[in-house]
Amino acid sequence: MKMTNSSGIRNLALALLLAHQSALHAEEPERSFSLNGFGTLGATRSTSREAGFVRDLSQPHGSQGSWNGNIDSLLGLQANWNATQRLAFVGQAISRYHNGGSYSPELMWAFARYDLNGNLSLRLGRLATDFYLLSESRQVGYTYLTVRPVTDFFGLLPFSHIDGGDAQFTTPLGDALLRGRLHLGWLNESLPLADREWSLKGSRMAGASIGLQRGPWTVRLSSSEVHFKHDLPINDLIAGLNSVAAYYPGAANAASHLDVAHSRSRFDSIGSIYENGPFQAQFMWSTVHHSTAAFQNWKAGYFLAGYRIDQFTPFASYSWIRSKPRNMSSGIPPAAGLDVLNAGVSAVLADSHSQQQTTSLGVRWDMQTNVDLKFQVDLIRGKAASIFPFRDERSNWDGQTKVFSLVLDYIF
Amino acid sequence: MRLRLLSCLAICLLVIFPAQADIVVVARSENGFGALNKSEVINIFLGRYRQLAGGQIAEPVDLPMQSAERNIFYERLIGKTSAEINAYWARLLFTGRVSPPRQVDNSEQLIEILLNSPRTIGYLDRSKVDRRLQIVFELGSK
Repeated sequence: MKMTNSSGIRNLALALLLAHQSALHAEEPERSFSLNGFGTLGATRSTSREAGFVRDLSQPHGSQGSWNGNIDSLLGLQANWNATQRLAFVGQAISRYHNGGSYSPELMWAFARYDLNGNLSLRLGRLATDFYLLSESRQVGYTYLTVRPVTDFFGLLPFSHIDGGDAQFTTPLGDALLRGRLHLGWLNESLPLADREWSLKGSRMAGASIGLQRGPWTVRLSSSEVHFKHDLPINDLIAGLNSVAAYYPGAANAASHLDVAHSRSRFDSIGSIYENGPFQAQFMWSTVHHSTAAFQNWKAGYFLAGYRIDQFTPFASYSWIRSKPRNMSSGIPPAAGLDVLNAGVSAVLADSHSQQQTTSLGVRWDMQTNVDLKFQVDLIRGKAASIFPFRDERSNWDGQTKVFSLVLDYIF
Repeated sequence: MRLRLLSCLAICLLVIFPAQADIVVVARSENGFGALNKSEVINIFLGRYRQLAGGQIAEPVDLPMQSAERNIFYERLIGKTSAEINAYWARLLFTGRVSPPRQVDNSEQLIEILLNSPRTIGYLDRSKVDRRLQIVFELGSK
């Protein structure tokens, strides 16, 4: 008994000592440098063998009837250095399956942030593109509910970062917060197109967004424009069209409409998020307009809702994308023996068609601190002509597939 | 030994707290922050907007992730679990925006920081609030 008492006192003394020591620690300055990371291990299977399902158009090949670890797996590392109260430096590198079919690391963020005051913050350097609400963090699986950002909506945005800057302004408005943002920069990557690459390097992107946050609601309007610098890798087709322009003037016209260099694409969207206790919902809608005939204009949107029950959050979403086919003739009559050129023009015009809707069901399990496990099924129902969101389509593609995904997300 | 003590403490807190916890948001009395409303407290702790009406920038401080006070605070403030708050901060961290609140080990350490740094703001059980601290927002008890 006596022994127990004295060990109890010793425990108490130890506890006091420890408490005192940690109180001393509290006076040390905040750690200004931090290294963090995030990652996803995923297995994805699209049931159709007729077209490759990809997460976004930066991936050259997708899941085509079998399990594929490339679609959703990635690893990211980030260093933050808060140099002063107002000045911070952030660098982030990601390794994921992308253009070239490799996991070669890419620099996603590398910027300096300067907070002028509580209202205005400036960033200069490499920034992730911010087309739509939530698109900045679309690589960090742990931060969102679904396995991947809705592909009908985000999948056609393969532009991941700009070299440039942005300014963000925040101010209270009644009991709401008003947030405005301007950004300008130059793209610096290439995209896979069939067996070729399309360079985006030097294409200019500029945009603005304005958002309101009030209680459980966040609503944001965004508009961005990309001014492309380079043409699609279809020089042989363009040269062929121009070579017969003397006989068929329409051919030169068609060739110039397929130019992408100096064309503009504009992305306008509205996004809204509702988060109230265990319930969360999102609605987003976008309309995209291209000045070149090489891409079809499209409209896309989605609804997503989830409800947390203890550690599990079941969710459901419905998304869609529709693009409008362009009618453009090469001006070359079918009997002229130049079917290759006509077929080439038709192929380019058809290649950017999207017409499908997706119903997704899944569950996120927050299994432990900083780790989640997600399972999701996507039912994609589209037209056979809906080939833009896919890779390696075959002639039997009918626009229908189911995608099963199991991913483990973590942050550290 | 320390671990066992801490886990004992954590279990005790978990058992006792949910029943009668009365969490209040506090700052140093001399600061004269004045009362805050719920959306201001949410903006400060979620890093949405930290400038106060008087122009000062508030610095929020969090209690440890596993603490009962922290769970109750976020649950009552915005109905979110610790895991959800964690995912929220991961999003902001990995987009290089704002930093999450500084974290301390216990409420004694929190009080120490509140008294020493004029712009800090934290949350505590009402029973631990003394004259040196002012209550700037009450979450109400359950």
